[in-house]
Amino acid sequence: MDLGDHVCWRYGDATEFRACVQDYLADGLASGERVCYVGMSEPAVLAADLEGMAGIGEALRSGAAMMISIGQAYPVGAVADPAAQVKTYAAMTEEALSAGFTGLRAAVEATSLVEAPEQRDAFARYEHLIDQYMVGKPFTALCGYDEHRLGADAIAELACMHPATNEHSDSVRFRLYASSRPDCAAALTGELDIATAEAFRRALEHADLQPLGDGIVLDATGVEFMDHRSMLELGDYAHTRGTTLVLYNGGYPLGRLAQLLDMTSLRVEQPR
Amino acid sequence: MNNDTSTVPEHGFDHPAFFYRSADDYLNQLVPFVAEGLRRRQSVCVAVPEPNLRLLRGALDAAADQVHMVDMTEAGRNPGRIIAGVLSAFADSHPDERVRIIGEPVWPGRTAAEYPACVQHEALINTAFAGRDLTIVCPYDAARLDERVLADAYATHPVLWDDGEYRASPSFAPACVHARYNQPLTNAGGEPTFLVTTADDVAKARRFAAEEATRLGLSENRCMDMELIATELTTNSLRYTDEGCELRIRRDGGHVVCDVRDTGELVDPLAGRRPAVSGAPSGRGLLLVHELADLVRTHTGPHGTAIQTYLRLDGR
Repeated sequence: MDLGDHVCWRYGDATEFRACVQDYLADGLASGERVCYVGMSEPAVLAADLEGMAGIGEALRSGAAMMISIGQAYPVGAVADPAAQVKTYAAMTEEALSAGFTGLRAAVEATSLVEAPEQRDAFARYEHLIDQYMVGKPFTALCGYDEHRLGADAIAELACMHPATNEHSDSVRFRLYASSRPDCAAALTGELDIATAEAFRRALEHADLQPLGDGIVLDATGVEFMDHRSMLELGDYAHTRGTTLVLYNGGYPLGRLAQLLDMTSLRVEQPR
Repeated sequence: MNNDTSTVPEHGFDHPAFFYRSADDYLNQLVPFVAEGLRRRQSVCVAVPEPNLRLLRGALDAAADQVHMVDMTEAGRNPGRIIAGVLSAFADSHPDERVRIIGEPVWPGRTAAEYPACVQHEALINTAFAGRDLTIVCPYDAARLDERVLADAYATHPVLWDDGEYRASPSFAPACVHARYNQPLTNAGGEPTFLVTTADDVAKARRFAAEEATRLGLSENRCMDMELIATELTTNSLRYTDEGCELRIRRDGGHVVCDVRDTGELVDPLAGRRPAVSGAPSGRGLLLVHELADLVRTHTGPHGTAIQTYLRLDGR
């Protein structure tokens, strides 16, 4: 996993998560980025979490490192406004660039923002939107989730919206995230079957993919397996949006499945 | 010999078994049947094994171009896909007209494993096309097929067409013959068994199936089909039973067989054999399995269902 990506980090031990945050933010400082650490605690307590991290003292003094208590960035207990949150980070990224940094890197302990199902729905949508923003802008983020406070299914629901995660592939069997291909609405990877059916439907809802010219194009080159119901789900998704869905094919024979199912609102193509 | 095909009904569903004893017999009856259909501007499909296909094509000469020709040894190798993939596919593509189909699913050389599926297919045609406006003639090689096969044809066809005569079958009983060929399916014993009880097991089950099939010599492409077959069958078991299923992969002669057993009963004998209906996902998994497989055998009852899916080792 590349820690420069948009990473979902499931943790069971706070000390282990702090160590992970330190590594992640230290990489950012070394790359000339402004870093911020967002957590439930007051800024001073957050700063204490980073004690021992190389260069953190100087970074805090110079403004290269910022500690943000979660209430300043997110509405605690409330359902997040996904678009507004993206605007907040976009503004912070622009500020960092104006101040001469190469970009912005955030480590966020986000557990308290996703404990209720409706919070999770909104946050999953935000995760997709911020992921799209990250494709084109120098902003990266590590999203930490406490496995003791969130169930495995809740974390999996969020992890599948990230391009990278420390979750085992048995827990997060597929991922739907922003694609770096300009003609693709998103990238889809992993395996899709009965075990992922509900999560896949919800992920598609959270992503709310929009057609770009020639329908909704999905980079599916990373798909390793798809059962017929998952393909029908994609077909229905396109159909209800009045468009077609194009899957860019990789090693798995999606074209054969589409042909056998005689799909009308979905077709499989080689990546352009 | 009487080759007057004017006795062929022109209304409703007509499903005669046609008994032939020579190539001349075959052509003397079936060429006029095709010609009469074309004269009436009906669409005609000939789905027969390749030697007979060649024979008819030659005899029809230029008229063959107006006939949809299908090699049944390919399209109908798995009898379970003939209704959806051959017969309905043709009939449904001509929704506003009466069509004529020659469908020959049973021929000398059908294996003992294939034959029960052939008979069940013939029996199910009666239900699948009840009320439709078409003729499906099923030729039987009376000179080379044994008496038991001909007796089964009597039971699966309401009408017999023999020596130019068109008459009601004295022993038409498709449900009985379908039940008679609902025979227990066995394994050799000792095969590794994979138990599927939760949705999370399905991915492991398909990996097990692919690994076993690879070990038994199945090609890479067909192993991908095996993964899909194992997934769809175990998924059905999880959806329609409480206990999940057992999956075994074994070799049987020139085939690799995927054996899935659960405690449910397949109450709809046409499940997986009807053409897909847009917006109705139910039944699509089994339909897909029939399309991918070289043979699907089923045994079902109140105590459970076993489905054995055969993939040829020399298949692509």
